[in-house]
Amino acid sequence: MAYHLSIFVENKPGKLESITKILAEQEINIYGIYVASAGEFGVVKIITNRLAEAYQLLKDEGFTVSKRKVSIVLLPDRPGEMHKLLMLLARHQINLDDCYGFVLEAKTQAALVLEAEKHSLLEEVLQAHDYQLLSEAKLSTG
Amino acid sequence: MTMYWDEQMERAEAGELQRHQLKLLRQTLERAKNSPFYQRLPLDKIDSLEAFQAEVPFTRKQDLREQFPYGFLATELKQVVRLHSSSGTTGNPTVIFHTKKDIEEWTNLVARCMYMIGTRAGDVFQNTMGYGLFTGGLGFHYGAEAIGALTIPIGPGNSKRQIWFMQNFGSSVIHILPSYALRLYSHFEELQIDPKTLTLRIFIIGSEPHSEAMRRQIEDLYGVKAYNSYGLSEVCGPGVGFECPEQNGIHLWEDYFLVEIIDPETGEVLPVGEEGELVLTTLKREAVPLLRYRTGDLTRILPGECACGRSHLRIERIKGRADDMLIINGVNLFPIQIEKTLLGIPGVGKNYLIEIRKENYMDKLYIKAEVDQTIFEGTLAGLTQLQNRIAEELRSELSVNPVVQLSEPGSLPVWEGKAKRVNDRRNKE
Repeated sequence: MAYHLSIFVENKPGKLESITKILAEQEINIYGIYVASAGEFGVVKIITNRLAEAYQLLKDEGFTVSKRKVSIVLLPDRPGEMHKLLMLLARHQINLDDCYGFVLEAKTQAALVLEAEKHSLLEEVLQAHDYQLLSEAKLSTG
Repeated sequence: MTMYWDEQMERAEAGELQRHQLKLLRQTLERAKNSPFYQRLPLDKIDSLEAFQAEVPFTRKQDLREQFPYGFLATELKQVVRLHSSSGTTGNPTVIFHTKKDIEEWTNLVARCMYMIGTRAGDVFQNTMGYGLFTGGLGFHYGAEAIGALTIPIGPGNSKRQIWFMQNFGSSVIHILPSYALRLYSHFEELQIDPKTLTLRIFIIGSEPHSEAMRRQIEDLYGVKAYNSYGLSEVCGPGVGFECPEQNGIHLWEDYFLVEIIDPETGEVLPVGEEGELVLTTLKREAVPLLRYRTGDLTRILPGECACGRSHLRIERIKGRADDMLIINGVNLFPIQIEKTLLGIPGVGKNYLIEIRKENYMDKLYIKAEVDQTIFEGTLAGLTQLQNRIAEELRSELSVNPVVQLSEPGSLPVWEGKAKRVNDRRNKE
């Protein structure tokens, strides 16, 4: 199991920059970032190598931030892998609230971040099919 | 053809009018003694206007709320045939009761106003104002029927249908919000109909403050005469005051109301010509007589006689409010209603801003509310749900459709007090 940070932001110039600035100053690495927008406002999701610290920093700076459980699945970086995974989830009737990916090593390994209301079922299914998951510990040493 | 609905009264000499007023005031005080709110006052001792002003304190809107529901009722409940009420569920609404005679007198007043500007039997009166608890719709409806005009109770909205009725039934007198009149014109343009080719003759515009320039614009666009209507539900509704064909000030009917202008800060009664808050005493109301009621409206009494021949005093068009009441497309609301609603919704922070803009000639209410970071659970769906809930609860509280914008905590300016939370940009844009 892992977490991503979820930050409420108004859709204005310089908003994302104000977040990345705080993380950059503390040399916190951003693995993946995703913005869900509802027009005038949105939610920024971030995977970092130092979750607790990033959370506290952003909170101290007045950001509306929360931690949300996600599964980060490791996949071979080649065509069809993501499709195979999503077919599996569909078969088990697992609905995704959020889904975004990042490449760990080009042509070799990628990671897919999945957020679902049925989080434990999601992890069960993934493990039953021998998918490798990135844990919080792995992220911080990674 | 006469210009007057009630020539003797409308042209009464000043002295005669004052004697009549004093007689009616005594009758009013006699009735007011039966109201739980006024019975504490020494109303028996009052025998002159000076004594009245010295002994009787002002009645405020707040008093009407606090005395909900029957604290101002001066008749038996079985004599009451109707009630009207302000919108709003925050705290108590203001409820005003009417006896059969109150309705008749109110009808007579509105008929007098409509007749004054040229409405006659044979006219087709299209009433685009809201019916229901709001007094604007029913007040004019009764007045128009008393004159004998064919009355179309179409109510607000549905612009294409409004135009269709105007075309097919030859509407000549229209009761309409001034901002809506301007917006309706864009529908005429869309349909490529020139309203000047229709039978439109008179527009009655009121319920919201508007400028002389706006009136002239409406007159030019439609080829009509537009008259300013003044009223408030606390003392009956529309009909309290109206412009005459001179279009130079609003006549207040002194055989129905005793008029004072006061300094809103000190309560001091101001001389003719000075600007202050309009205070009204009802002279004929049975169910809810109101003594020295502070309307909250800022204006001044115009000195001199009116060329129309009516002796009743005139006030200038309403300049604004003495309190923080907002008028959004004719609907009255107070910022406190917005505050109470927002603070009652979990997930909403403590800071908010109210902004009012003119868009396409209509007032638009914007609410910026901060998100409470302690219960933010991190989903976009949760935020849009919150946004929708705020809009829904405000709509039900205010009867106005707001645009709700969610803000980050700490992003809105922090103010001391309420006034600065309201940014009314209508006259600035």
